[in-house]
Amino acid sequence: MTTVLQVSNLRKAFGGITAVDGVSFEVRDGEILGIIGPNGSGKSTLFNCVLGQLRPSGGEVHVDGKPTTGMRPCDLNRLGVSRTFQLLQVFPQLSVRDNLILAGQEHQGSMYSRLFGRADAGLGDAADRMIEFFRLSHLVNEQAASLSYGQQKLLDAAMAFMAGPRLVLLDEPAGGVNLTMLVNLRERLQAYHSERKATFVVIEHQMEFVMALCTRVLVLAEGRIIAEGTPQEIRSNPAVIDAYLGPGSARHE
Amino acid sequence: MNRLGIIAVGAAVIFAIVVPFLLKPFGVYLISMWAVLTIAAIGLNLTLGYAGQISLAQGAFVGIGAYAVALMTQAGWPYPIAFVGAGSLCFIIGWGLGYPALRVQHHYLAFVTLAFTTLVFLVLRNEEWLTRGIYGISGIERPTFLGWSTAGARDFYFFCLGALTAFSAATWWMLRSPWGRAFVALRENPVRALSLGLDTRRYTLMAFAIGSSLAGFAGAIYAPLVQFIEPNSFALGLSFNLLLIVIVGGSGHFFGPFVGTLVAVLLPEWMRITQGYYLMVYAAIVMLLLAFCPSGLVGLMERAAKAVMIRRNLDRIASAERISR
Repeated sequence: MTTVLQVSNLRKAFGGITAVDGVSFEVRDGEILGIIGPNGSGKSTLFNCVLGQLRPSGGEVHVDGKPTTGMRPCDLNRLGVSRTFQLLQVFPQLSVRDNLILAGQEHQGSMYSRLFGRADAGLGDAADRMIEFFRLSHLVNEQAASLSYGQQKLLDAAMAFMAGPRLVLLDEPAGGVNLTMLVNLRERLQAYHSERKATFVVIEHQMEFVMALCTRVLVLAEGRIIAEGTPQEIRSNPAVIDAYLGPGSARHE
Repeated sequence: MNRLGIIAVGAAVIFAIVVPFLLKPFGVYLISMWAVLTIAAIGLNLTLGYAGQISLAQGAFVGIGAYAVALMTQAGWPYPIAFVGAGSLCFIIGWGLGYPALRVQHHYLAFVTLAFTTLVFLVLRNEEWLTRGIYGISGIERPTFLGWSTAGARDFYFFCLGALTAFSAATWWMLRSPWGRAFVALRENPVRALSLGLDTRRYTLMAFAIGSSLAGFAGAIYAPLVQFIEPNSFALGLSFNLLLIVIVGGSGHFFGPFVGTLVAVLLPEWMRITQGYYLMVYAAIVMLLLAFCPSGLVGLMERAAKAVMIRRNLDRIASAERISR
């Protein structure tokens, strides 16, 4: 299997605090990799360094073998790497449809050809299909601001898929989503994964969500990877239980 | 746009064509000024209302455009070339002024652009070799296009109206294209926009450059309208006034600048019936307006139209129920 994303010895320090401390891993084509870890373990910082939102203090990132360390997020996105953020990030004043068209339009032609081209950049149908796929059809012309939190989370995820990315990094997709919506979201992500053979990396706190969705899991604590394996292996790993519940907890199991 | 909107715009266009025949020359001058300032305000609405980049430099760009046209035509260049030159010059300088916006935002950016306005004012006032300083430039002639002289007040008004129509149409086209969506994304969430492949740097610079060039074109019409320009006309007051126009009209609404300029140009004149108090009354009206209607007049109209529509739908549902019973 080919490697889509390779992260080698990545480091990020903020002043005296090292948030990510020499992390190396790779993401293989078609897998869903979960990254878990306690709050403050450096998960989001890791994402931000991989995706160019932050400049890493050291280490390297390769996408499909190409070095992308320190590349701007917009250029990285046009290479086929897409993401969602921990906090909800849709464009509240735009309609659901416009949010999705926006998420794909920069991949269509050049900036100047878009000015003279079609208003929907030729993405109207693709947007409608994506809306249908995520079961938001009844909301297509609503402003994103008027959607419920769970619906906005779905839209947020749909936007990350709009440009047909090679790799999608999802930062806490299930955060703050109610149980019904959670099942819906997981099922949509799985459906998308099997239909398009997409590759995902998912940061998540919701253990059941991770265990059901991911094929492989990395555990981060204090900026380092402390465990790696299948969801079953991770569940019974004493180092993981220590990191989450404090040292010694594993022995009482 | 719904049917109500199309009817309103159609009525406004007919009114704009008929009204100069009903007014005295000073009235025609005022509506010409309305057209000119609306062009500049459309530019600021693009930069501020759509792309979310605050600028207190719009008046300075009107000044740069006005001086460029005045100096070029008096040096013997034909007006159309001077006109395009003024807009292009402002496009380039506006692009340059966009760079600070890549680093600072909101009130910091307001101060950067405010300093720029002061700088332009000082250049206009002090660099006499170029701008003739405080004496200003007088005797700016109105252009003739293919034998049509715009020297008369009414003719010049139609030139202003034609330019306003052309620039509004171009802006409308741009805002309905993917660029319009990108500008709104820049205003609402630049970090997310960047992660979706939007080159936010280039769009920010473009928003500044296009907004500034519209001010430059407005200045290029302002100069032959007033026929005498001097540095004070383009000091901070004008930039604040344009900002007021955009906000009172409805920032981020396409028709905001048209309505806002009506308030800023005509309301003070109507308030003259209160004699010495007219500016005070005007200021009070503006304060009330902003306190009770921060989305501007067009925002208020949209809300009212929506309320009427909901009302009508409810009535229809109610009467349908009555019939079915």
